[in-house]
Amino acid sequence: MKLQIADYLIISIYFLFVIAVGFIIKKRIKSSNDFLSSGRNIPLWITSLAFISANLGAQEVLGMVASGAKYGIMTVHFYWIGAIFAMVFLGVFMMPFYYGSKARSVPEYLFLRFDEKTRALNAITFAVMTIFSSGISLYALAKLLEVILHWNFDLCIWAAAGIVMAYTFLGGLTSAVYNEVLQFFLIVLGLSPLVIVALQDAGGWESIRTNLQPQLTHTWKYMGHADDNPMGIQFMSLIFGLGFVMSFGYWCTDFLVVQRAMIAKNMSAAQRTPIVAAIPKLFMPLVVVLPGVIAITLMQPALQSKGFSIPSDANGQLDYTMALPALISHYYPSGLLGLGITALIASFMSGMAGNVTAFNSVFTFDIYQSYFVKNKSDKHYLMVGKLITLVGILLSIGTAYIASSYNNINDFLQLVFSFVNGPLFATFLLGMFWKRTTGHGAFWGLMAGTIAAAITHGLTIAEGKGGWISPMFEIKSGMGQAFIVASFSWIANFFSTILISLATKPKPDEALRGLVYSLTEKVKAEEQKWYLKAAPLGLILLIITIILNIIFF
Amino acid sequence: MLEKFNQLSFIIGAFFMLVAIVLLGGYLISDDMKQNINLYTGIGLLIFGLFMIKIKASE
Repeated sequence: MKLQIADYLIISIYFLFVIAVGFIIKKRIKSSNDFLSSGRNIPLWITSLAFISANLGAQEVLGMVASGAKYGIMTVHFYWIGAIFAMVFLGVFMMPFYYGSKARSVPEYLFLRFDEKTRALNAITFAVMTIFSSGISLYALAKLLEVILHWNFDLCIWAAAGIVMAYTFLGGLTSAVYNEVLQFFLIVLGLSPLVIVALQDAGGWESIRTNLQPQLTHTWKYMGHADDNPMGIQFMSLIFGLGFVMSFGYWCTDFLVVQRAMIAKNMSAAQRTPIVAAIPKLFMPLVVVLPGVIAITLMQPALQSKGFSIPSDANGQLDYTMALPALISHYYPSGLLGLGITALIASFMSGMAGNVTAFNSVFTFDIYQSYFVKNKSDKHYLMVGKLITLVGILLSIGTAYIASSYNNINDFLQLVFSFVNGPLFATFLLGMFWKRTTGHGAFWGLMAGTIAAAITHGLTIAEGKGGWISPMFEIKSGMGQAFIVASFSWIANFFSTILISLATKPKPDEALRGLVYSLTEKVKAEEQKWYLKAAPLGLILLIITIILNIIFF
Repeated sequence: MLEKFNQLSFIIGAFFMLVAIVLLGGYLISDDMKQNINLYTGIGLLIFGLFMIKIKASE
């Protein structure tokens, strides 16, 4: 892949714009809340697109295309069973507590609802995870540019980190959010021509269905038995593991995405943020799953004359992660090639900036202000927030180099993250909807969930991974294993939290008003028109999602 | 004019118009870029850019 002047020009225009956004927003930053929480003053269309874009990082774009090539259309379960239902639940049921409690972060909500130790556990694990995610994103970007464009690895790391630092340091969360919206349009519009031209070259959807095994072109039909589908998982495990535990755990509790809804102008906008975001999310598989399905179709014997192939890795296996770069290289001429590469760079930078801004909010509010320096002036916390942005970027660079030195560290970290994140939704579900849940129950439930995740992973083996206690159960795919690990960790957390809560003293009702469903006055809809209310909008989205599942059954 | 850069919709519109100009300009003057996909994408991005500049998104 070789870039021409026009390609470099497009990449340069993008860099210029993202830094310019930082300078424009800088004028609006007057307080620590402006810098770390955007002063709760961002319009709905921006919070919604930022909400979806915060998740549109490298793992999403490259990873979903790779999964589309590996597992076929079943990958849409991440959207049509996973994300949409969870986003609607967040908007309708959980945002009133996050937004109404006036908490500035998810860990702060845990402090208000439970106690200091539960907040500390969540804040510290979240801060560590965001830094590692940011560093891994940076490493993956530099590695990709080194492999496909032969750019210098170190230069890529420092240049990309420098640009993200420039706009997050200048404009804080607002700058990151504005750039996420630009990145959203760039990713969608930069990759859409690729889908159209590649789909046309593959002969359209009918040709895909003819040339691929039927297991790769149906979402549910082959899920009756684990051995019948490429993910190696039965439908109940999928619905519970992915649809409930993992998706609700991520979309409803991860501060990285929830933060985008918490900065909305008012409660109504905060509730509608994830629901409006779910509209483009519903159709995102067209841009990030379909290319993978097309890529694997183009490699079938009947279409080999098209000359497309996914590169192989060192073991001679197809390197599915390279499916998207391979498609871009194959179909995009000079000019559009620059746009495609810029879209990839944008996805990495979006992921990194999202992590860094979430890290500086949690570190400043939930660690620094809570445990180290209390009751200082707002100017002091603004300065700390900016300083932490720099520290976050430097730590990300350090993590990127660690990731480059250890082949398996990415897999290891992703695994640890799943141990921590998997059970988290049980804590929030019980905390928000059962007033008897106690701080001790929440804390030790989280611990039990994490331990259960580690044990389940140690007893199962998939694609050579896991089974470190004893490989008693074999699972066909790593993805299937992840769903099962998450399910067990959630169940362990759920029941441990209930048992320990029943044995410990709950907070008085007065302290839980606005934090628990049964003790909170129902939110009166600010919007009068039904189509501007969260619940009807959510219901329509769920109906459309079910129809899509039936169409591609 | 400069005040419009405070509006995100204007920034996004301006960005995509510039990208469209690069694609369409390249289509006209460079043999490497004289491909229909550049032309159609350029036109599409130009329309989208103009639309974003024109809409009065509330901020």
